Amino acid sequence: MALIEIDNLSVTFDAGDRYVHAVQGVSLTVHARESFGLVGESGSGKSTILRAICGLAPISGGAIRIDGKPLQTPRGFDFARRVQMVFQDPYASLHPRHTIDRTLAEPLAIHRIGDTDRRVVQALRDVGLDPSFRFRYPHQLSGGQRQRVAIARALMLEPEILLLDEPTSALDASVQAETLNLLSRLRAERGLTFLMVSHDLAVIDHMCDRILVMQHGRAVEELDRDQLAAGAMKTGYARTLFNASADRMLDG
Amino acid sequence: MTAMMTWLRDPNPQSRTQARLGQMWLGWLRMRRNPLAMIGLMIVLALLLMAAWAPLLATHDPLTQNLSQRLLPPGSAGHWLGTDEFGRDIWSRIVYGSRVTLYIVGLVALTAPAFGLLIGTVSGYFGGWVDQVLMRITDIFLAFPRLILALALVAALGPGVENAVLAIALTAWPPYARVARAETLTVRSADYIAAVQLQGAGSGRIIWGYVMPMCLPSVIIRVTLDMAGVILTAAGLGFLGLGVQPPMAEWGQMISSGRKFLFDQWWVATVPGLAIFTVSLGFNLLGDGLRDVLDPRSASR
Amino acid sequence: MTLLSVKDLYVTFRTESGIVEAVRGVSFDLGRERLGIVGESGSGKTMTGRSVLRLIRPPGRIDAVEMTFDGIDLLKISERQMRALRGKRIAMVMQDPKYSLNPVMRVGEQLTEGLRRRDGLRGAELHRKAIAALEAVQIRDPERVLRAYPHELSGGMGQRVMIAMMLIPQPDLLIADEPTSALDVTVQAEVLSILDGLVRDRGMGLIFISHDLRLVGRFCDRVLVMYKGRVVEELEAKHLMQAQHPYTQGLLNCLPRIGGDRGPLPGLDRAAAWAG
Repeated sequence: MALIEIDNLSVTFDAGDRYVHAVQGVSLTVHARESFGLVGESGSGKSTILRAICGLAPISGGAIRIDGKPLQTPRGFDFARRVQMVFQDPYASLHPRHTIDRTLAEPLAIHRIGDTDRRVVQALRDVGLDPSFRFRYPHQLSGGQRQRVAIARALMLEPEILLLDEPTSALDASVQAETLNLLSRLRAERGLTFLMVSHDLAVIDHMCDRILVMQHGRAVEELDRDQLAAGAMKTGYARTLFNASADRMLDG
Repeated sequence: MTAMMTWLRDPNPQSRTQARLGQMWLGWLRMRRNPLAMIGLMIVLALLLMAAWAPLLATHDPLTQNLSQRLLPPGSAGHWLGTDEFGRDIWSRIVYGSRVTLYIVGLVALTAPAFGLLIGTVSGYFGGWVDQVLMRITDIFLAFPRLILALALVAALGPGVENAVLAIALTAWPPYARVARAETLTVRSADYIAAVQLQGAGSGRIIWGYVMPMCLPSVIIRVTLDMAGVILTAAGLGFLGLGVQPPMAEWGQMISSGRKFLFDQWWVATVPGLAIFTVSLGFNLLGDGLRDVLDPRSASR
Repeated sequence: MTLLSVKDLYVTFRTESGIVEAVRGVSFDLGRERLGIVGESGSGKTMTGRSVLRLIRPPGRIDAVEMTFDGIDLLKISERQMRALRGKRIAMVMQDPKYSLNPVMRVGEQLTEGLRRRDGLRGAELHRKAIAALEAVQIRDPERVLRAYPHELSGGMGQRVMIAMMLIPQPDLLIADEPTSALDVTVQAEVLSILDGLVRDRGMGLIFISHDLRLVGRFCDRVLVMYKGRVVEELEAKHLMQAQHPYTQGLLNCLPRIGGDRGPLPGLDRAAAWAG
């Protein structure tokens, strides 16, 4: 059963003097508990798809369905409890004047869920942070710790779908490894469905079952993991991308 | 004391209060390194103390007239700043006048920025026609010369401290709305706003909890820098006889009554003028220092 | 032949919370070759690169037993002499061209500023040189790029313009700080091959600062691996895979690979004795 269905999606921004077609006619389906990757270079529209799902970018054509039901605008409380997002830059995605405690307690307050103290401490433990971090401000944390907080925040409402927008590209290699391990573990424990965006084929390969290669707002080629590892691309662009990532191969 | 310091500098605070106080303590440390800001703070504190202890500091009743002692120069026995044309002690009038000044400044500082902040953040956050309407209203208020608009209001409502405050507040808010709106526009597209929108937060919660804290520092800085202007406008209204009514002591009105003797008895107008100058300078210096402490761009360092 | 020699370099910052040592006793020699400096954020790699040009702002200070460039003592010469050296003989390319190019000046004007000021070139000769500089970094339509403003260029194009600009005075040493990190992988390869060609054809020395160990391993001749302000390992790039130091090994192993087994990635043991 397809959990996320994107059908011929187009996103067009009005840039004043001209229209920017960020996404043009992209279709994809993600099954429950699957991890799906969107790969492409800057300007390929991969992040825009995630933002369109969340209502942060306007849908100008096509449809997005979650669990068979079309999305409503505004997205509403039910959507928030099913779908959450982790952003690329952990320095920009946490409010600089809110403590970690406030950041994590906010979704509970919005949805009138009680038991705040226990849930916040538990959320910190779940992402591998010591509860003593609870009353710190974001600038007192490292990049990796901030991204853990951002992941904890996304999981506060216990969603089934996590949208990951380049969650590790702003992090150091060793911190990236820890963060990817954390995401994999959480997915296994909670049966999460991932829709993940990255420019790094190795990261996408490590995390995803199927991938869609995008360029200039269009879908280029869909590959499963075995095809990617074997270098079995059919299109020229996917191959170029693959070759440029050759140093990320297993036997590199 | 040391225990208190360790508590404040604890990298792992145990509660929200401790975290917030710790941040304030760091801000205070930053501020303390700026000597000019500390001078400003001293002046503002001195004004506060002067107003609070006016009955103790004043050597005479500010309203009691004594025509036998009129227009005594500074340094005269019992009147170290001299007396005015009714023989009232100028020092005592300055001391009591600080209460009026503080009252006006305090009321304006509470009302105008709050209103401006609300208009500015709402306007910037929603954009579109809301922004258009609110900003055009702001433009209209901005287009009036401040003192003239205040004059018109006081003329309509009648003279008095409360009406002077109302008039100043009504003319002072547009710049705060502008500042808040500009700040909101940069904050609006931040990822942390997107994140809380995704959690289903309503506009009110986002504006109050997320946008306003980011705009507040710029507005507070702007307020302290404007305080000098507010004191001067209040003094201006007083000078024109539209603010505080005699015989109550108010600095602007004291200058006004002193101008008749400016050439022969210069101190009658000069001393309150110096008081206004000092307090304005104090607020300006404090505002400059606060900019370093509160500016979100420098706070992250 | 040694172009740059650095011995026991320290960069220290005096802050409220005490003295922070960003670089702690780094030594290296550079010939006309490609030297990679690799490390994670906070390793001091950028500070090492900047201190060669004495571009450390107060309260930071540079101390070293020796820092000579082509016989010139970089620690002794005046700020004025240093300015003459910067750009002309030692050039630097930063991570993001967006912040290095003046947004309100046409590319052509910025590119030729040095030529006009320093060499007094005008007219056709100036234009010819500018076009040649852009062609050297494989820009296909140099005429259009000369007339463009920085915001009209893509990231890869902007970075090429930056490199072209730095190379016009024909420097002997180029310090490139993450020159390709803001670029897409396909563009990255092109920019690297341009840099590579320049080192080979002009015999320039290159210090290539990056967080990407594999990229540096592929591109450079020699690699310094830095951690917490120290060089933990220095090795030939072609022997990178046989790195001995646990930190270097850790950095290599923690990266995911295409076709890997998707098990948990090995973390980096920061608690080890060498981390102090």
